[in-house]
Amino acid sequence: MFRRTSLAAAAVLAAGALLLSACTGGGAAPDPTATTAPDPDASAVIRLVLEPGNLDIRETAGAALDQILVDNIYQGLVSRTPEQDIVPALASDWEVSDDGLTYTFTLREGVTFHDGQELTAQDVVWSLQTRKDTPEWSDSARLANVSSITADGQEITLTLTEPDSSLLWNLTGRAGLILKEGDTVDYQTKANGTGPFTLSSWKQGDSITFDRYEDYWGEPAKIAEVVFDYIPDNQAALNAALAGEVDAVTGFDANLKEQVEATGDFELVLGASTDKGTLAFNQAPGSPLADKRIRQAIRQAIDHDALVEALGSGQTLYGPIPELDPGYEDLSDVAPYDPDAAKALLAEAGAEDLTLQLTIPSFYSTTIPQILVSDLNEVGITLEVNSVDFPTWINDVYVNKDYDLSFVLHTEAHDFENWANPDYYFTYDNPQVQDLFAQSLAATDEAEAADLLAQAAKIVSEDAAGDWLYNGASVVAVGTNLTGLPSINVNERLNLAELTKSNG
Amino acid sequence: MIKYTLTRAALLLLGLLVASVLIFLSLRVLPGDIAQLIAGTNGTPEQVAAIRERLGLDQPLPLQYLEWIGGIFRGDLGTSLLNGSGVAAELAQKAQVTVPLGLMALTIAVLFAVPLGVLSAMRRGHGDGTFLSIGAQTLAAVPVVWAGMMLVVVFAVWLGWLPAQGFPRSGWNDPAAAIRSLLLPALTIGIVEGAMLMRFVRSATMQAIGQDYVRTAAAKGLTRTTALIRHGLPNVALSVITVLGLQVAGIIVGAVVIEQLFSLPGIGRMLVADVSARDLPKVQGELLVLTGFVLVVGFAVDLLHRVIDPRQREAP
Repeated sequence: MFRRTSLAAAAVLAAGALLLSACTGGGAAPDPTATTAPDPDASAVIRLVLEPGNLDIRETAGAALDQILVDNIYQGLVSRTPEQDIVPALASDWEVSDDGLTYTFTLREGVTFHDGQELTAQDVVWSLQTRKDTPEWSDSARLANVSSITADGQEITLTLTEPDSSLLWNLTGRAGLILKEGDTVDYQTKANGTGPFTLSSWKQGDSITFDRYEDYWGEPAKIAEVVFDYIPDNQAALNAALAGEVDAVTGFDANLKEQVEATGDFELVLGASTDKGTLAFNQAPGSPLADKRIRQAIRQAIDHDALVEALGSGQTLYGPIPELDPGYEDLSDVAPYDPDAAKALLAEAGAEDLTLQLTIPSFYSTTIPQILVSDLNEVGITLEVNSVDFPTWINDVYVNKDYDLSFVLHTEAHDFENWANPDYYFTYDNPQVQDLFAQSLAATDEAEAADLLAQAAKIVSEDAAGDWLYNGASVVAVGTNLTGLPSINVNERLNLAELTKSNG
Repeated sequence: MIKYTLTRAALLLLGLLVASVLIFLSLRVLPGDIAQLIAGTNGTPEQVAAIRERLGLDQPLPLQYLEWIGGIFRGDLGTSLLNGSGVAAELAQKAQVTVPLGLMALTIAVLFAVPLGVLSAMRRGHGDGTFLSIGAQTLAAVPVVWAGMMLVVVFAVWLGWLPAQGFPRSGWNDPAAAIRSLLLPALTIGIVEGAMLMRFVRSATMQAIGQDYVRTAAAKGLTRTTALIRHGLPNVALSVITVLGLQVAGIIVGAVVIEQLFSLPGIGRMLVADVSARDLPKVQGELLVLTGFVLVVGFAVDLLHRVIDPRQREAP
């Protein structure tokens, strides 16, 4: 194993050196011809990392589906911007009653599905009702508070049993997607939505192609075709970019900035994201991590600034809520880097000779476990790294909660709820947090809801319920001939309505 | 010969049956299941249970095995749990990349291994022969991944002659583009496999040089080279066929690695994706076909051997 790793490392080094020598003299100034007018017939190729296994947006989980299908192919009554604001989509506007129990949406006229059928109010009622009544469909439980869904002309009314400050947000996601009633499309490999793009082809194990939907109800897409090229390996993606085979590379490694920008054809764009590099502590009774002092010691032993620097992108995060989400506040005072304080805490807890296991899915960069091993070693904790494939992680950590420490990048926005769920794999159980979260959901005022979340998040951080190693950035190498590619939170949503490509 | 063929064919079927049990069981040892993956990290236990039931994963293992094997006897290689695609159709689709890749790799390997192997044997003791021999040793030890990366850096990134990754979206409709995209990966596997083959050709040739019939032929007035080519090389060819048969397995393994590296939509990449999706019915179908293919090649090599080499026909 060691031999293979060191050989691979040597190859990367050699490749890097060759690349640099090949690129000298090229200069980094962007190509001036790139400012030519956008070509409405253009085709853009975008590198993505994770290919979906099937396209069934109804029940197959995973960001790989939301990333490309939501907004582009499927739409809900409302949508969200990369900045996480809620905006109209299939509903031109909406109203919420003062008691927070009635939501009234005005459905747009003249919306058609990609197969030519018209969108009716009945389709909306059917989609939401079926979602709510079908536990097999993802996010079905997010409509639990909805007691009735009715239509009167183009008015859709949702009546709630109790106020739910997360409802509108949930409707911007899977729970709110509108499908054609009784559609016979094979959702696993085909799609039929109302968005600005149609699914043109899916070459499994290779690429997915979207075409502009010419009869789109809104402003038509500004590009004729978008190809999502699935290239898992970062080095292969860099090669593809340098060889001019892709126009944009998402999920890039910020440390390769100079290499990809060297030809002047690409610019590395860093955007905010809700990706939370989460170090989960198994604090179930009986685990050494049930002792809060040990959890706090681990947090203070980790040099978060150094970690962010090594990753080359992102920022520090000391609590469960990232800056893009409501309820964020700077919690860096709760666990400042202080190895001496960490040692003192460990001594106090009588745990100077601790050995812990870190279970981490194997597709993450080895930078993170390396830094954790060395930081924790400094304070006398031996960390054994257990690198596993994702299904094993799901089985051992997520389902069986059989782990000490675990690292996963949680990409979803607005996911504080997991800290208020004692059954989640975080194993964190604090009734006060659960109560504050419930209050936040029941609040009818946005500011109040956010404030309650902030209070809950602070307690979670003070309890050292987990550690947040960093708040990731969306790292995208964008061809200088592209405009309108989103740069914020692209791992979760990649709305391409504004994308243009010039032939420069 | 007929008796031998029948016995050998029966062994082949038995081998496939054993392989099917091993494949089925070894995949079941993997932790994690597809229903949980479909439901994801926010899926409720009810959701997972409903998906598992729909996919038939709640059935006992022996029953699942019998259903799979029964399907194969009816000509059904199974379907994906994830997206319902058929294993046979998917294999046929991906074979359009992997089979040409394998053939090109094999051709490249033979084209440089045979002449250089013979040459290095004939020039044994000379500087160039030693150089060739050490070169082959070194190349054979190179990891496929590393060789591939070097070729990409030089021919794709640096010189810009060949694509760095991927396969044309139009597939074989554009044969020139398809071949261009397979050239670097085929070269990668071909060089590494060819280096191993070359060492083998070298030792087989050296053995042939030492044989009595070659010496006799040389004594009758043929030059050493002509004697070797006329009388020695047919015997070398026999050994080469055997080794090539064995190398088919090596090329399949190489394809798994190389298709990842070059993002080629072939069987190797499909296999890796299906394993990491825990789409086990699909993986076991694919593995059984690959195993069957390797076994059939072995079968063919054995038969060919007997046809070519009269001495073996007398053996029981």
